[in-house]
Amino acid sequence: MSTAIRLTGLRKTFGDVVAVDSVDLEVADGEFLTLLGPSGSGKTTVLRMVAGFEQPTAGAIELAGVDVTGTPPYNRDVNTVFQDYALFPHMNVLDNVEYGLRVKKVPKAERRSRAQEALDAVRLGDYGERKPSQLSGGQRQRVALARALVNKPRVLLLDEPLGALDLKLREQMQVELKELQREVGITFVFVTHDQEEALTMSDRIAVFDAGRIAQIGTPTEIYEHPKTAFVAGFVGVSNLLEAGAAATILGREGTWSVRPEKIRVMLGEASAEGNERAAAGTIHEVVYVGMATRFFVDLDAGGTLIAVQQNSHATSADVNAMRGQRVTLLWNTENEIHVGS
Amino acid sequence: MAATTASPPKGGFGYRHPRARLAALLAAPMTWLVVVYLGSLAALFLTAFWTVDGFTSAIVRTFTFDNFIEVFTTPAYLQTMLRTLGIAIAVTIVCLVLAIPVAYFMARVARPRWQPLLVAMILTPLWASYLVKVYAWRAMLTPENGVIAWFASPFGLGGPGFGEVGIIITLTYLWLPYMILPVYAGFIRLPNSMLDASADLGAKGWRTFRSVIIPMIFPSVVAGSIFTFSLSLGDYITAQIVGGKVIMLGNVVQQNYVTNLPFAAAFATIPVVIVLMYLAIVRRSGALENL
Amino acid sequence: MQKTQLLKMLAVGGAAALALAACGGGSDSGSGGAPDVPMYEGPVGDGEGQLNILAWPGYAEDGSTDPAADWITPFEEQTGCQVNVKVFGTSDEAVKLMQGGGWDVVSASGDATLRLIYGSNVQPVNTDLTPNYADIFPDLKMQSHNSVNGVAYGMPHGRGANLLVWNKDVVGETADSWSIMFEPDSPAAGGVGPYDSPIYIADAAVYLMATQPDLGIKDPYSLDQTQFDAAIALLKEQKALVSEYWSDYNKQIEAITNGTMTGATSWQVLVNYYPENIGSTKAKEGATGWSDTWMIAKDTPNINCSYKWLDWIASPAINQQATAWFGEAPSNVKACDIDPQQCTDYHAGETAYWENVYYWNTPTEVCLDGRTDVKCVPYSEWSKAWSELRS
Repeated sequence: MSTAIRLTGLRKTFGDVVAVDSVDLEVADGEFLTLLGPSGSGKTTVLRMVAGFEQPTAGAIELAGVDVTGTPPYNRDVNTVFQDYALFPHMNVLDNVEYGLRVKKVPKAERRSRAQEALDAVRLGDYGERKPSQLSGGQRQRVALARALVNKPRVLLLDEPLGALDLKLREQMQVELKELQREVGITFVFVTHDQEEALTMSDRIAVFDAGRIAQIGTPTEIYEHPKTAFVAGFVGVSNLLEAGAAATILGREGTWSVRPEKIRVMLGEASAEGNERAAAGTIHEVVYVGMATRFFVDLDAGGTLIAVQQNSHATSADVNAMRGQRVTLLWNTENEIHVGS
Repeated sequence: MAATTASPPKGGFGYRHPRARLAALLAAPMTWLVVVYLGSLAALFLTAFWTVDGFTSAIVRTFTFDNFIEVFTTPAYLQTMLRTLGIAIAVTIVCLVLAIPVAYFMARVARPRWQPLLVAMILTPLWASYLVKVYAWRAMLTPENGVIAWFASPFGLGGPGFGEVGIIITLTYLWLPYMILPVYAGFIRLPNSMLDASADLGAKGWRTFRSVIIPMIFPSVVAGSIFTFSLSLGDYITAQIVGGKVIMLGNVVQQNYVTNLPFAAAFATIPVVIVLMYLAIVRRSGALENL
Repeated sequence: MQKTQLLKMLAVGGAAALALAACGGGSDSGSGGAPDVPMYEGPVGDGEGQLNILAWPGYAEDGSTDPAADWITPFEEQTGCQVNVKVFGTSDEAVKLMQGGGWDVVSASGDATLRLIYGSNVQPVNTDLTPNYADIFPDLKMQSHNSVNGVAYGMPHGRGANLLVWNKDVVGETADSWSIMFEPDSPAAGGVGPYDSPIYIADAAVYLMATQPDLGIKDPYSLDQTQFDAAIALLKEQKALVSEYWSDYNKQIEAITNGTMTGATSWQVLVNYYPENIGSTKAKEGATGWSDTWMIAKDTPNINCSYKWLDWIASPAINQQATAWFGEAPSNVKACDIDPQQCTDYHAGETAYWENVYYWNTPTEVCLDGRTDVKCVPYSEWSKAWSELRS
């Protein structure tokens, strides 16, 4: 597989603020890569530098093996779907989608049919005459997608495109986007701060922390084997056993993490069997979330672990009654992740 | 439960009667708007159909179209009307040509922390007295000795002197802030992502300016033009001071209102009608929402 | 007049002089004789305690504009009449205010006086009760604008003539004729500055009196249609020579001193402070001018205070002070003893000087010059014609 994007030593500062610091990254053709991180972590700045909206302070950007570091956006074979969609309000939907083709002087008949095709692909074939203001958020989002894809870019950049949608629509669009990407085979670089979204859609995830890539890998690698406490905390729930607790319970040095769904909660005393680990504690809070319940357990060895249990039989009243009870937490040793020394 | 249950505290009269509250709130401004504002316009229009007593100059309430007939059949008056319209259009166009780059710079090029200062600078001339500014322009425009003539003379050129050009220059100076501010606001409101999106889709600067920026700030431009156009249309002091022997519509009104108020009123309805027509045209552009 | 004083006066009401001329009013049909309003027989007793004055700006000063200009406070102290002044901007405003009532005395220009007299708004003045009347210049007494059928209607205040001014560098060292403002071959062509008011039509008529005697113009305010048309035709030709019409005297001062206006009508008060290279004279054809009169409202409840005011304002010292403040010739002969320079500057005592000065008057359909075989063009038509000419 050839490389769609290669970033080397990319750095961007705004005054004294370092937004992006020595980022090296390769994106393969046809890959769905997600840049995940909290706001201010530099993920959007990286995207904007790839698009050409920002000039890097240092480093190089290659698109399909060609250095485009100094190339203006209109000469880069990438297109962007903006967080606010950035549809031109004075043009109707069809004119919006045609804009890129019109600028490139594609003959009228061809650009009509290609625009219509793109609108059909996002199931908005009948909406060409509408103004963006007459569309719902989800529809606007799809127009923005069509407007970008109609140009058949080598890379599509998506800047938190689902952020403004409500939960249901967002989940639906996640699936649609992934399907669409598979169909068109274009490289997607997707920026989000929503870890679930990242885990759902991506081939690979680059987790950003303070302008650097903290970890890059498949969703499974990121989730199951976070390399740092930050990644462990940002992707999933921070469930750390630090210093004293780690030494007491695990008998090991460093900071360790156990995913909440990997922990079983047993009332009273229980002992570990086989390769299991046991830790005693007291439930100090119970959060009932419908299909599951989250238990916050203060460990006798110090620290707090969260455990999630399916509510296969329990009711809200049952689990609430467990507040303050003594419990033993059990997990398999292979689920212990070393996230820091 | 105790036998004495306290009733919850009640809201005031206005809280329980939202319509009464609204009426109380709007009574004064509505009275002003209807009685004073529209009333005086109506009175003006009505007066235009009356005539005057030749002896006392008092208004005689006899219905007649004579004032309008005189306005529209006297070639000199028609000429003044067209001249005034031309001046107002020219002022608006010049303001536009100057305002767009200035406003663009202020809103999109200058650093954000300089913006309030730039806006204040644009507003500065508005703090000075209208008359002082026009007299200053008289000094600028004076033939031979004026500042402009002085600068132009080494190149074998003269200044524009007093007349239509002088009026256009002076009115442009006076009303430019009224064009810059709405256009500036339009640029401020223009999301950065629009420009990014246009570039992203392959458009270079000029194409983006033409296809995205201009259409999107058009309502602001229209809003500004309503100010420059209508203010120019009604002005008469500038013509008096830098117009030389050229006069505008307002001067005719001013010359006649003492001796023949109905005729002056008939003449004064012309700019009102022109501005109303202009507003009707621009209403479609959505510009009125940007005023 | 000092420059600073002039500027102060401009500040008080630059409109004053402007309005003096722009005053235009509705026309006076002049029908019938003077109304039968009785004259006060006297005697002038103690003041009633108050006096309401309608005045041109600068005519009734109480020191609030300039502490040096105060002839109301001493009047109040002497007579016990508390003065309330309202300043008006045009003759029409004055007439309308007088018609509304509530005012005791008014300073009226020649184009307002007749309307007030024929409109029964003012009463005849018993000049026996105002000792200072005796010292008024004879040629200001019993004029057509301040008397009817030999009955005086007021106390003359001051007068001025509209002068010809020219730029010596352009026109030449001497000039004596309005021709430099009217003739196409004038050296001042392109720099002519006529006064911007319908009343300026009379200036054209004055010139026609000399240049086209066949028209038979006797009085520039009594023009029949033929005479009027000739005046308008002359003004239309003049328009080609004009640089600017002026009605605001800042504008004239600026244009004359800058040399862009090279031949114009002006006032003594402005001339006094033009530089060396500006000549001024009363043109040989004669000139228009103004003469103002203090009049007493018909129904005044403050008759004693009114008479006291008329006598006060006409007294030598006060008359001198008030007219000097405004910049015009005093009406009291003895005022010239106090400031001979003022009287020289403004030609106060030169009877011959005023002989061909035609004081502003309101043109009416009934010709003011006594002709009965024709109708004259009333002021309302003057006003229309001027507005059309300027368009």
